[in-house]
Amino acid sequence: MILAIESSCDESALALFDPARGLCGEWVHTQIALHSEYGGVVPDLASREHLKNFPALLHCLPADFSPAQISRLAVTRGPGLAGCLALGLALAKALSLAWQKPLTGINHLRGHLFSPFIGLHAAAPEEFPSRFAALLPHLGLVVSGGNTLLVELDAGGKVTVLAQTVDDAAGEAFDKGAKLLGMPYPGGALIEKIAREGNPAAFDFPRGIPEKTDPRLSFSGLKTSLRYKLEKMDDATLASALPDLCASYQGAIIAQLLAKTKTQLRARRFASIGLSGGVSNNKTLRAAFAALAEKNRLPLLVAEPKHTGDNAGMIAFAAFADAALPPPDTANWALNFAPSLTIDTP
Amino acid sequence: MHPSPDISLADWRAGLTSRSAEETMALAGNFLRHFPANTALALHGDLGAGKTTFVQGLARALGITTPVTSPTYAIFSTYDSPSRQLVHMDAYRLGDPSEADELVLWDLLREPWTLVVEWPEKLGDRLPEGAWHLHLHIAADRNHFLRLIDCPSV
Repeated sequence: MILAIESSCDESALALFDPARGLCGEWVHTQIALHSEYGGVVPDLASREHLKNFPALLHCLPADFSPAQISRLAVTRGPGLAGCLALGLALAKALSLAWQKPLTGINHLRGHLFSPFIGLHAAAPEEFPSRFAALLPHLGLVVSGGNTLLVELDAGGKVTVLAQTVDDAAGEAFDKGAKLLGMPYPGGALIEKIAREGNPAAFDFPRGIPEKTDPRLSFSGLKTSLRYKLEKMDDATLASALPDLCASYQGAIIAQLLAKTKTQLRARRFASIGLSGGVSNNKTLRAAFAALAEKNRLPLLVAEPKHTGDNAGMIAFAAFADAALPPPDTANWALNFAPSLTIDTP
Repeated sequence: MHPSPDISLADWRAGLTSRSAEETMALAGNFLRHFPANTALALHGDLGAGKTTFVQGLARALGITTPVTSPTYAIFSTYDSPSRQLVHMDAYRLGDPSEADELVLWDLLREPWTLVVEWPEKLGDRLPEGAWHLHLHIAADRNHFLRLIDCPSV
């Protein structure tokens, strides 16, 4: 079994993954409840929070757990907040030393990229290698508060960035839009909720770089556009227009994600499409991608909601599935945190 | 239109108008000629005022080719260039200035550096001494207005 540790940002998480069975347990110490008390702003990014959380999480491991069941350890080495990553790495190295187990550093973004395949493995672990190979080359959209990436995972396991945002991430566009609309931060999910009652064609919002062949994504123009619209509205107008504003704003983000995914589908051949990261929870986005995949006769793999945020399940799974990783090292003391790690590096 | 290279510090103090994102980036390139190394720049301005665009202009002028994206979620991003290390920070998510100490940022700075901080008021007394302060805002005519309000080291 692989024991994985994740501490790249606010969440402290552990997971156990058995290559013969799948994920056997996942534990997250989440601070989300605490965040909302503070109006959504992170109350404490401090690494000392992880220091408090991890001993409690280790006590959550099954009663019959023994280090003898562990074949290796995996830990998120980046990207993320340096102090938080450093603490996870210190814990991983301590366990590696105490238990004499090899340790692998994992790229958090590749955890997201591989997360849609967790279910494929769980359904039939022994058939996973052949089923997985049949889905490559894979086009993955990793879309979250901090990232918007279109990447290729090729048949040899190599990850190549095909397109990314040149300014804000899609999730950030949701959250900052929500802030301009007076919602608590981060309020991206609230936009989706209110958008259900609205008309996505009611307002015109920028949809990034219009040229169909230009792969780049851009979301920063949305904020300015929303600001200008809000300046012209009094409170009563805004209250009645809110559902339409949310639906149109969300619609512009999704339309751009679709358009730039289509740009990639036109340019090269893929055997599957994947959707991962926090924004992939958006149901309108999921439906739009399901239709896109069907039209292109490609299977769509979507990460389970519990694997879209910061979680250790995807880190454990990436340690198992990422063919580009170096072999695990028993004395991996040189393993260091990498706050700005990019997805094309294992 | 590219701003002429002879914009003086006095012009920056009086305030400059930008009519486009491209012009904001070009102005940032000019600003860099006046801005000393190993100094922090506090960028003040609302959402959409052009703060990230200004930093993209600094990066372009420094010859940084990797895309400069918003650091809101990661708090800060570092970019290396032959002439200077550029650190782009967004302090918005910090609950308290003391949380900045946990970011290990000060250990990651490599001279000569330029640290640009969005939402600098969230950094409080952790904003490095001698920081310059630049205000960005959108005027009624929708042009963007940039004004240097404090440059203690000059």
